[in-house]
Amino acid sequence: MNQNGRFSQVFNILFCAFMLAPIVVVMGVSLTPEGFLEFPPSGISLRWYQAILDNPDFIEAAWISLKLGIVAATVASVLAVPAALAIGQGKFKGREALQALFLSPLMVPTVVLGIAFLRFLSLFGLNGTFTGLVLCHAIIITPFILRLVLAAVVGLDRTVDRAAESLGASNWTIFRRITLPSILPGVIGGWVLAFITSFDELTVTVFIVNPATTTLPVRMFSHITQTTDPLVASVSALTVIFTIILMVAVDRMYGLDRLLIGEGKK
Amino acid sequence: MAFLEAHGLTKTYGETNAVDNLTFTVEKGSFVSLLGPSGCGKTTTLQMIAGFEDPTMGKIKLAGRDLSAIPARDRGLGIVFQSYALFMHMTVAENVAFGLEMRNVDKAERKRRVADALELVHLGHLANRYPRAMSGGQRQRVALARALVIEPELLLLDEPLSNLDAKLREEMQLELRRIQREAGVTTLMVTHDQSEALAMSDRVLVMEKGRLQQEDSPFEVYERPRTSFVSTFLGKSNNFEAELKSVSPTASQLLIGGRALTGPTVNLTPGTVEVAVRPERIEIVDAAEAVITGTVRERIFLGAQWMMNVATPLGDMLVIRRNAGRREAEIGDTVHLSWAPEHMRILPLNEVAA
Repeated sequence: MNQNGRFSQVFNILFCAFMLAPIVVVMGVSLTPEGFLEFPPSGISLRWYQAILDNPDFIEAAWISLKLGIVAATVASVLAVPAALAIGQGKFKGREALQALFLSPLMVPTVVLGIAFLRFLSLFGLNGTFTGLVLCHAIIITPFILRLVLAAVVGLDRTVDRAAESLGASNWTIFRRITLPSILPGVIGGWVLAFITSFDELTVTVFIVNPATTTLPVRMFSHITQTTDPLVASVSALTVIFTIILMVAVDRMYGLDRLLIGEGKK
Repeated sequence: MAFLEAHGLTKTYGETNAVDNLTFTVEKGSFVSLLGPSGCGKTTTLQMIAGFEDPTMGKIKLAGRDLSAIPARDRGLGIVFQSYALFMHMTVAENVAFGLEMRNVDKAERKRRVADALELVHLGHLANRYPRAMSGGQRQRVALARALVIEPELLLLDEPLSNLDAKLREEMQLELRRIQREAGVTTLMVTHDQSEALAMSDRVLVMEKGRLQQEDSPFEVYERPRTSFVSTFLGKSNNFEAELKSVSPTASQLLIGGRALTGPTVNLTPGTVEVAVRPERIEIVDAAEAVITGTVRERIFLGAQWMMNVATPLGDMLVIRRNAGRREAEIGDTVHLSWAPEHMRILPLNEVAA
């Protein structure tokens, strides 16, 4: 098993420590009984978890983020699946241009996107609305879904479609019964990744929310600009736990290796 | 009356004719092979019959009705693809049931017919398996059951055995033929494997460069090839140039390597022709009876047979001799070769003869 040299082992350990340290610190801080950010905590207390319940605006924001993530990831999936099929299976000119267009939100700095969306939404009177948030998030997260679905689509055997066709299936039936089930792991993996991206999106969102549609990351951000109590730590800790549960669930169902890297156990 | 008819079928891609004015018929209930090297147009022909490609010109008729206006999904043909093209997320039974579902066959009837189809291919016990947990041979049977369960008027097989290893392939040849006979379905198979085509078919259509070279029973195609291409593509053949001196209704006079020989009659005008002799029809004889004399270059022992390469003035000749339990000519030996006149096939000269 152990094929790595000592040097790379040490490197790997340091790397993991570097990645995990902030999360450990946040988790630790969230358990402090004190009224300020303290690490390591001087005691164990759920005081700051209790405090979340006394801050309905946080709970409100979490609900908005949850709804936003679900709706935006679903909208983006509806966009990305046909796009991936067209790009992956089609033989028309401009396929690569289309792909680049769909992936471009990854390349534009998010601050720039934020300002652009702000102007754009104002033109249509959508600024600060939930609809506006959904549209912007869907655009930002579409590339994540597209990448994963595209990887699944490229591996499809087109003769399977022909086999279904020869047995009497219409194009819609082929999509529903044959194609979609075959790429479903990619779609679900992309959906989850997109959901998580939407759920913790801050840079763009901060430009386009109003007090009624404040998302959790924006709420947390504005909280720490005003106070430095460990409330954000407990909220962060819960968010991390929520994300871990989500990833474990996806891994159990479809295998994260396969979704994110492409191959793996079949 | 012919069941499947193709009239002047042509498919053009850019400048080249992938299929060039192809006309043939398939009788009801028979097993016919389209045989040829890759790129000969056989797969394109199959695609046109299946409805996945539109002919540039020509017509396809099945049981008297013109197929050209009917889309692939309504042609009701059973197709077995080279890659099997199974639905990997469905069980074997679900795979087989798919075509019946599309035809709105009710559940009880569906169940019965799926069971029958799986029984036919001896897979009844694996109905609830997923294809990924099956061997190549089993997948092949699933593909076959899926194609047959809809009771197609015509079964199309696209290189059905090429993904199987040699031993399994032989088993499946017999098995496929049994299934086809039991189901009584008219079958058209595309293959590049001549032994497969000979072993399985009632009739063989040999294609080259988009054109039909010969249509005959397997025995006739092998014994009486009509072109140089057919003689070398099916089995092994020694082809060399000869001079056709004269032809009578019963015989022909040939000059082979300076030696006059009488051959079977032929429908050709005198001139330079190509003569083909199967390696297993060449005998090693005494010097007095020799048609040609040569030196053994290579000799391979195959158990039941010896295979020899003999250098002669006519070029290298392949000779196959049944192992009679005696010692054979060694490498370097001089041997005298002969063959019976009726074993010569006199063919029009192939301009690009090797």
